[in-house]
Amino acid sequence: MKRPPMLMRVQIHGEKRRFLIWLPLFLLLPLALLLLIILLPLILVAIIILRLRGRGSHLPPVIRASFGVLCSVRGIKTAFDVLCSMPGLRVDVSNRNERIYVYVI
Amino acid sequence: MSENQKKILEMLANKKISVDEAFQLLSVLKTEASAPESTAEAGTTVKPKPKYLRVTVQPSSGHEHDDYAERVNVRVPMSLIRSGIKFTSLLPPEARDKVTGALHDKGIDFDMRNLKPEDIETIIEALNDLEVDVVSSNEVVKVFVES
Repeated sequence: MKRPPMLMRVQIHGEKRRFLIWLPLFLLLPLALLLLIILLPLILVAIIILRLRGRGSHLPPVIRASFGVLCSVRGIKTAFDVLCSMPGLRVDVSNRNERIYVYVI
Repeated sequence: MSENQKKILEMLANKKISVDEAFQLLSVLKTEASAPESTAEAGTTVKPKPKYLRVTVQPSSGHEHDDYAERVNVRVPMSLIRSGIKFTSLLPPEARDKVTGALHDKGIDFDMRNLKPEDIETIIEALNDLEVDVVSSNEVVKVFVES
């Protein structure tokens, strides 16, 4: 089973300053989910408006709204899939004086 | 050490054969010994699934200590690539058409609308054999798959 990432290590080494942080994603994700739930009605309204003004305006509003919600749910699922696929991602860019290192666990 | 190898070395010690002949005979024995194993392996070996796509950029030899020399080491999980490709299904049709058109202009005849989930798996599996090495005067770029 896929699981969301637990930690993210971000390390920046510059000439003048050094910065290392372990981001506890397992704590941030519930907050993001809460924010999403709060914003969901607004997202729904935005989708309905966009659907009414844009493509598919010949369809009844209920179908358009249902389609919009379905789309957003699919979008949220895909975004969650991407998030769950991130563990193992490592980016390390450096030159003689600077280094940026990101590692998702 | 096998009996045949001992015999060859004995013949060499007794000066019945030359060093070159002994070397050739030992090489033949070695080839014969490894051939059945390799064919058996070829029949049963299953390529491990690719886990990560790696992209590395290293300064070429002689440029390691240059001020502008940059090193890049990126490891992308294959599952992330898989999910990323699936993400394309969320693109609005207008945007997808634009991407397809832009690819066509570049000579790439690829329609994103035809991308199916089974195709994604085929693409991921095909990446197993991917290996790109670009060597320039300053940098060495490598793209490969890690299992």
